[in-house]
Amino acid sequence: MPTPEQLQTIHPPTWCPGCGNHSMWKALRQAISEMGWASNEFSMVWGIGCHGNGADFTLTQGMHALHGRALPPATALAMTRPDLHVIAEVGDGDCYGLGMGHFIHTLRRNPNMTIIAHDNQVYGLTTGQASPTTEHLMPSVSTPGGVLEQPANPIGLALAENATFVARGFAGDVEHLVGLYKQAFEHKGLALVDVLQPCVTWNKLNTAAWFRDRIYKLEETDWDASNRSAAFDLSMAAFREMTCTPDECRIPIGVIYRQEGVPTYEDGITAASTPGWRRASVPRDVSALVDALS
Amino acid sequence: MEQRAPYGNEVRIRIGGPAGFGIKAAGATLARVFARAGYRTFDLTEYPSLIKGGHNTIHLRVSEDEIFSHVTPTDILVALDAATIPLHLDELTDGGAIVFDPHDIAADAIELGDLAGRVCLVPVPLTDIVREVGGVRIMRNITALGAVLGHMGFPLEGLVDSLQRQFAHKDPSVAEQNVAAATRGFESAAESHCEFPYKLAPRTGEPTRILTDGNTATAIGALAGGLGFYAAYPMTPASTVLHYLAAHAEREGVVVKHTEDEIAAINMCIGAAFGGTRSMCATSGGGFSLMVEALGFAGVSETAIVVGLFTRPGPATGLPTWTEQSDLRFAIHAAQGEFPRVILAPGDQAEAFEFAWKALNIADQLQTPVILLGDTYLCENTQTVEPFDGAAVTIDRGAFQAEGSVTDYQRYAHSPTGVSLRAIPGVIGAEQLVNSYEHDEHGFGSPGEVAATRINQNAKRLTKMRLAASLVPAPREYGPREAELSFIVFGSTKMPVREAMKWLEADGISANMLQITTVWPFPAQEVFEFIERSKRTVVVEGNATGQLEGIIREFCMREPGHRINRFDGRPFSPEQIYETAHAIAGQPVPQRVSPEATGGDA
Repeated sequence: MPTPEQLQTIHPPTWCPGCGNHSMWKALRQAISEMGWASNEFSMVWGIGCHGNGADFTLTQGMHALHGRALPPATALAMTRPDLHVIAEVGDGDCYGLGMGHFIHTLRRNPNMTIIAHDNQVYGLTTGQASPTTEHLMPSVSTPGGVLEQPANPIGLALAENATFVARGFAGDVEHLVGLYKQAFEHKGLALVDVLQPCVTWNKLNTAAWFRDRIYKLEETDWDASNRSAAFDLSMAAFREMTCTPDECRIPIGVIYRQEGVPTYEDGITAASTPGWRRASVPRDVSALVDALS
Repeated sequence: MEQRAPYGNEVRIRIGGPAGFGIKAAGATLARVFARAGYRTFDLTEYPSLIKGGHNTIHLRVSEDEIFSHVTPTDILVALDAATIPLHLDELTDGGAIVFDPHDIAADAIELGDLAGRVCLVPVPLTDIVREVGGVRIMRNITALGAVLGHMGFPLEGLVDSLQRQFAHKDPSVAEQNVAAATRGFESAAESHCEFPYKLAPRTGEPTRILTDGNTATAIGALAGGLGFYAAYPMTPASTVLHYLAAHAEREGVVVKHTEDEIAAINMCIGAAFGGTRSMCATSGGGFSLMVEALGFAGVSETAIVVGLFTRPGPATGLPTWTEQSDLRFAIHAAQGEFPRVILAPGDQAEAFEFAWKALNIADQLQTPVILLGDTYLCENTQTVEPFDGAAVTIDRGAFQAEGSVTDYQRYAHSPTGVSLRAIPGVIGAEQLVNSYEHDEHGFGSPGEVAATRINQNAKRLTKMRLAASLVPAPREYGPREAELSFIVFGSTKMPVREAMKWLEADGISANMLQITTVWPFPAQEVFEFIERSKRTVVVEGNATGQLEGIIREFCMREPGHRINRFDGRPFSPEQIYETAHAIAGQPVPQRVSPEATGGDA
């Protein structure tokens, strides 16, 4: 099983100094190492964006997919390779923008995989345009008068679509993030970890300091992560109060909702019980299918 | 009034009526009855994009001889509503018959015009019979089938046997009612005292043939080739591949996914193929438009997938249930940038089976997308073929990195063929990045933006096209080597052209045909040589702008002499090709076979 250092390629990260991706990457490697997975026991799929550049820095057996399209290939991998732990790394612009349809439908399916969302509330790689999670009325180069839409609510959406593990992390707290990642990896079914990840270059509002003033950890409260309607209320409150002052609101991080024992998509298809590549070594006997046509 | 073409002993039956009347099912049942009785059949289904209502037909051709396509003339018109009669009166042959329900229209209200006295009216009280046997209204279709056999003087037993098999899994009363209705229909038509001039009787000693449409053939071909994952979003005419595979998924051990859209379908295929599973998706032009971005992803990431592009008239939603071959250039050029691809165009149902498993092999051997280019005419129409030869199927998964010997694995290492050793996730030591970005040998994108890396990798990928040329099916030639007329076709046009060639030969006009089975890489040398030794070349393709013709000009620097195009959504009929070919050959058409307008002759 690899150490965190062994999960690095020869290419050093190119993220901006101070970017939340650095600490998310550190937490990812730490969590995988602590899971004890050998390097051939897991696979990762990235979308396109600043988060996706992590594909170059992370030594694994993975795929750097298209913008917004990490979840379909990751889902198919989970469906056809039950022997692998599958992790999809996505961005808010990527997965909640172009990929929103796939996001919703992936939640509905409950495949056995983990989605880690780098949610920095802007399009970083294309120079700071508003993303689906950018706050209402925040200006950007593509929305100089401020974003007129309400921000997308990934936590609320995930709950609405019956996701079985929904968590929120903060890139500024690596140790906490490692714990969330490990719980997500251990969860049987779809796990979403939406990570608040300050963009030091483009998002001057939702900075690390801004988050630090507001976040609190659910596990330090008497939070019951099995209560779905309470989780839904929490997701709506947290979402609506993002523009408030530290005194007015607080942002919860931790496991918001968890439901164990729900059948995964793969549990419903017998063909998914063995790796798909095993089937293609010899021609399949189709004589009965052909006979049925006579 | 159609004259009866003098080719072989055959009967043509058209069943028409509104959607929801069980027209296609009736035609399929009748086809099976005749196929089991030793005949060759070809049926053409035509329908608008409606679930109920509209006008649907199935045209079934039954012949003792080898046949290749549908034809237009009709010997027995089964009208399940009154509106069907005037729509198809022109097609009726001398001595033909109309089977109708007097409940829909009285015999003396049918306006036969010039046909009076030359066609036979066969009133069958379909509605009354169904009521009397205690059946449901849709069983008028089965009743009418009994009437067709009764009118022909063909034994009823085959139909009874088919119905009993068809409804074996239902309550016994269903089969009993259907058999009773068919029997009453048979007796009713036999009492009409109308002589049917063309006699068919069950044949013995004929080899067993199967009945298949192109989509079923494609699905079984892919299964034979080790398909492990299929994803699709429903779109005519590709949908029945999804239905067939979904119905057989559990038993055959295939993961079949109806996805939220075509974008997810092809991206899922890429994910499954990355995991080592043989993967395929299929759609029509609209869905393929959505898949185009990921097609390029498969190209740059060197992922082996098969994409079925089963075309219909476009642009946009176009004519959803009709046929066209106008996406040829689209298939060749889809997605930005340049990357290797293979496009196979099966020309009939037998080739649909063959090319499906070969496509899976070629995709693995080249580690790049392979497109199966079909169209509605191939996908949805059913004909008798020799049973698919499962023993001929081989599996070649291409170049794999041997397990246990992996050090410094390079997913995109250079090789003389452009193909690198592949290692799927799970192989110890095979750390790799399969990348949609330009990348280096390890798959890393960071240095991919270095010009030299870009040039090396792009050139490596394009090198595969040389290997592709040696793996793909070569063009296929039919007819004598020297001929008056030389047709050049791709895809399903092969079928009506082969039929027309048979008729031309009977008229003393020799014709041959080059079928371009692999449209990409384009077989320029073979096409060039064919044109060079041809007296008159005729490119026949189902589009308005002559896309294949243009490609021939581009690659062969030769001007094909003549063209026949069709783009009204209807398939080429052999009559159209036959008539135009006569004109091209400078000979008068000996008899008028079809009322259809012919395509332009350049």
